[in-house]
Amino acid sequence: MLELVGVRHRYADRLVLDLDRFALPPGAAVAIVGPNGSGKSTLLRLLALLERPSEGEVRLDGAAVIGGRARTALRRRVTLVEQRPVLFRGTVRENLEFGLGLRRIRRTDVNRRVESVAARLAITALLGRRRHELSDGEVQRAAVARALVLEPDVLLLDEPTSSADRAAAQALYRTLAEERARRPLAVCLASHQLEDAYRWTDDVRALAEGRLAPVTPENLFRVELPAGGEDLKRVCVGSVEVAVTSDKTGPAILAVPATDIFVSREPLASSARNVFSGRVIRLSHQRPGVVHITADVGVELVAVVTEAAVRDLGLTPGGPVVFSFKASAVRVF
Amino acid sequence: MDFLAEGFRRAVALLFSGDAEVYGIAVLTLKIGFLATLVACAVGLPAGFLLATRPFWGRRAALTVVNTALAFPTVVVGLLLYGVLSRRGPLGGMEWLYTWQAIALGDVLLALPIAAALAAAAVQGVDPRIRRTAETLGAGRWRTAWTVAREARFALAAVITTAFGHIVAEIGSAMTVGGNIRGQTRTLTTAVALYTSQGDFGLALALGLILLLLALLVNVALQVLQGRGESHA
Repeated sequence: MLELVGVRHRYADRLVLDLDRFALPPGAAVAIVGPNGSGKSTLLRLLALLERPSEGEVRLDGAAVIGGRARTALRRRVTLVEQRPVLFRGTVRENLEFGLGLRRIRRTDVNRRVESVAARLAITALLGRRRHELSDGEVQRAAVARALVLEPDVLLLDEPTSSADRAAAQALYRTLAEERARRPLAVCLASHQLEDAYRWTDDVRALAEGRLAPVTPENLFRVELPAGGEDLKRVCVGSVEVAVTSDKTGPAILAVPATDIFVSREPLASSARNVFSGRVIRLSHQRPGVVHITADVGVELVAVVTEAAVRDLGLTPGGPVVFSFKASAVRVF
Repeated sequence: MDFLAEGFRRAVALLFSGDAEVYGIAVLTLKIGFLATLVACAVGLPAGFLLATRPFWGRRAALTVVNTALAFPTVVVGLLLYGVLSRRGPLGGMEWLYTWQAIALGDVLLALPIAAALAAAAVQGVDPRIRRTAETLGAGRWRTAWTVAREARFALAAVITTAFGHIVAEIGSAMTVGGNIRGQTRTLTTAVALYTSQGDFGLALALGLILLLLALLVNVALQVLQGRGESHA
């Protein structure tokens, strides 16, 4: 179990991460989602012990990781692939062999592992190439292979498919799923792609302003709440104004729970203060019987409904849709 | 203008005649140059690496001191070293004053900040993700340092060349602590100064040409190394 406990992390005086506890159980697949600057990459770097938290500690199997040797030892079990990874000088094969050499793996085993991972990630043809001969997507796959070949206990992936096309991304996730089925491997994935997060991980956690958000990760927006005595406020989100009830003012995060959005084809008379018309972008079947509707209603929102509801309403990608929700349903934190 | 042409003719003749004095001066300069470069870089490159990568108390002040030392006049370094090595100085017992070792020590002191400051700049120029990647793949402190240095190897090679060039070209310290003694502490630069003041322009020019030739050879070697490295990046 890899944990961050009581972690407050600052860059200069700016608090970028504030977590009472973040745990990654053995063999778990956890996704961290959130907007840019929410602290996802920092969280992964702390888990990988590439940065020391300003306050708090990193624990592995219940014991705090303190001291240079302990950190190096932990790094041999936890490997991070950064969002825009770099390859070292030399060929892709030499890159894959780098960490194996540090672990003094026998030559025959090195070759076996490299060939196996390269085949699974479809980079066998790239093994003899150097970094300037690769596209961004190929560098990303090579970097994931370089981490996987070490057979770590924990694999941390920061936007691992940001430079990959859809097919390459799915191939990567399939490989990870196969690896997890083959041996106990915990994966922690930071992603913008909610759909991938839901599809390939067991646990999706939202991060906003460096804190774990107390709601599901869809429909999170950073806003500036106006000052004023009244509780009902209107704030701009994208090109629409969202009515919220809050006595807060200044910077805040709004969360519209996807399950609290009422979906219809036409605007309906109701008490909902927020009624937005738009078009369906996509329908994702992420769990049996449940459909995530992503719609552009002046801002991109996700609503969760049943498959039966989608069928009854005749919702299709590109078709009209109306999202309604009460001002009191909007969470402010 | 005739004396220039005459001087140049004499220089070429001396270069190809295998003159023992010219040869001796060049060999001594090379010996001191290589030794001082080796010592200065052996200390300066790791120091530069630490300055660039390790956060420690007083790091900014240390960087300021090193950068200031880059502009330290060579003759002042020679003067201070003279005080230290003179009979009444703290290291007077070593009896190094007016020896080639004193010149080498002065050159080390002059090249050390160059090696440290330029190495720090070279390492800071390496993508920080290289270091993080080496660490996350399980590299310890030394292997991480080696990986970063490997990425900066051309810049670090340029640091070594610059240090060597600075050492073989300096005159102030070599003249002050070496004394320009014929056959013992006469280097290319001190000899050029002496023969110019004595009016032996041809010999001075010949030695000057050797100095230029040395600088050229070192730079060509670096270019060849860089060219080879780029094709294996």
